[in-house]
Amino acid sequence: MTIAWKEMKKSKTKFVILGSIIFLVSFLTFIISGLSNGLSQDNAALIKDLPAGQFYMSSDANETYNLSRINETVQKNELKKQKDATAFSIQMGFVNDAGDKQHSVAFVTSTDSKLFEKVGQGEVVLDRSLEEEGIKVGDTLTNNQFSGEFKVKGFVDQKKYSHAPVAYVNVENYKEIYRVNEMQLLFIPGQAKAQAITGLQSFSNKQFLNAIPSYNAEQMSLNMIVWFLVVISGMLFAIFFYMMNVQKIGLYGILKAIGVKTSSLFVMMWSQMLFITVIALGLSIALSQGFTMIAPKGMPFSLTVETTLQLSVIFIIIGFLGATLSGLQIKKVEPLQAIQQGEV
Amino acid sequence: MTIFTIDEVKKTFTNGEVEEQVLKGVNLALQEGEVTALVGASGSGKSTILTIAAGLQRATEGDILFEGKSLTKMSQEQIRKIRASEFGFVFQSAHLVPFLTVEEQLLLMLNVSESKMKKREQKEEVEKILKLVEMNHRKDAYPASLSGGEKQRVAIARAIIHKPKMLFADEPTASLDSKRSKDVMTLIRDLTKTLNITTLMVTHDEEMLPYADHIITMRDGLIV
Ligand SMILES: Nc1ncnc2c1ncn2[C@@H]1O[C@H](COP(=O)(O)OP(=O)(O)OP(=O)(O)O)[C@@H](O)[C@H]1O
Ligand SMILES: [Mg+2]
Repeated sequence: MTIAWKEMKKSKTKFVILGSIIFLVSFLTFIISGLSNGLSQDNAALIKDLPAGQFYMSSDANETYNLSRINETVQKNELKKQKDATAFSIQMGFVNDAGDKQHSVAFVTSTDSKLFEKVGQGEVVLDRSLEEEGIKVGDTLTNNQFSGEFKVKGFVDQKKYSHAPVAYVNVENYKEIYRVNEMQLLFIPGQAKAQAITGLQSFSNKQFLNAIPSYNAEQMSLNMIVWFLVVISGMLFAIFFYMMNVQKIGLYGILKAIGVKTSSLFVMMWSQMLFITVIALGLSIALSQGFTMIAPKGMPFSLTVETTLQLSVIFIIIGFLGATLSGLQIKKVEPLQAIQQGEV
Repeated sequence: MTIFTIDEVKKTFTNGEVEEQVLKGVNLALQEGEVTALVGASGSGKSTILTIAAGLQRATEGDILFEGKSLTKMSQEQIRKIRASEFGFVFQSAHLVPFLTVEEQLLLMLNVSESKMKKREQKEEVEKILKLVEMNHRKDAYPASLSGGEKQRVAIARAIIHKPKMLFADEPTASLDSKRSKDVMTLIRDLTKTLNITTLMVTHDEEMLPYADHIITMRDGLIV
């Protein structure tokens, strides 16, 4: 209806202020969820990027992958049975560069698999973030537990574990550094249902992530931050649209008094709410995506368009509820009462 | 012919614990095409009975009959329809829609009353009414830029543009000087006579009484 539009044109300032608040709050939510997502990615991209499947660790490991040792015969059998299966290990450690500067890394090694980098003995493939720390392809790195040297073969994007860049090394080198023979984990991609393997306990991707103690605790905090933000900003939206309309109750009283249909009043509230929210959210989405591009390289930040759209839909629904709630209030009230309430 | 009947209407306001009976059984019959003036002391219940009659609030007890149909038994939506097409109301203060120009106010009223006129005819009708109330030169103005008397004239134009059967006016001349008051009263009287509109009007002003066909006095929520 055109009266909705005419009002916005006449009271631009009011609607611009309302719109900028919606914009700021949604922008805040997008940025925070991007940061939180980035942190979570920083903590476990290595695992999160794996396809859905089943993880196995030894039953006596108490669900702690660090303590897990996969029996070598079991491993051999399973790898033979499942052609995509792989056994792998992760351990936190350090490498020293030519200038003897220490970099903390997560050493990862695996059996032949396209899910992990394949590296020969004395070679290492690093996460891209180490390139920004000045390491180049062809550099040699050392480790105090390792007799030889690692030659940097290349870099991969976004492979992080426990906030440290991943360093893919050969199984033989890994065994030497950590003085173990067994792998910690067995991963069978594409397996929806766990199979029973003697001496092993199975985990889905999600269960496995939650079995990583640091990940689990951090994730809970991050989720809480985002959810609180979404809930509170959502409530703010609802309250804003509610207040906007309730504050205009005198106007709605006049419109009711001259006989404007209640449905037209609802359409007016909804269309104004939609107009403001869509513009504000559009701006927020554009700006937060822009921020994704200009965000400093080292900063954990990950905000997909899907996430922003999902959040936007939530905000629109909540704004809609707020507008509807005030609409119901206005529907109920007698025209004269509304006019009198608007006068005080 | 009686077109509108107010039958033993009572109204009680409750403010927290306190109950106050403002109308104690008002009876009134309005004849088609006539102007009835309601007078009485401040607080005697004039505005209250007027707004109840116009369907802007509900009576606590009693009945309101318009063309034989009971307003008190109707749903909000049915009353709205009647307000939109059969009633016109002039408030004590004009109560125009702040973000619509004078012309748009009147076009909105025509739309609300589901006028069958085409866009161009509507505009012509608006112009005609605005000429009657001598406001045509201000048709693109917003209410905020109008004087009190100008607002009131626009409000009167809005109340009659859809050719209602009933016109309710609550001190339509309160914010006007003596000359303008007389002009507005002449206008209301002429319009209601030509369009055969039945008018119920509250006034404080003795000078306005000659324009009425009947004068009814209220005291303490009763007609005397
Ligand atoms: N919404 C309300 N809630 C409580 N009391 C009300 C309400 N509306 C009116 N009253 C009371 O009802 C009484 C009559 O009010 P009303 O407005 O009908 O008087 P009036 O005759 O129009 O007076 P005036 O000439 O000053 O306009 C007053 O005492 C007023 O305080
Ligand atoms: Mg009054």
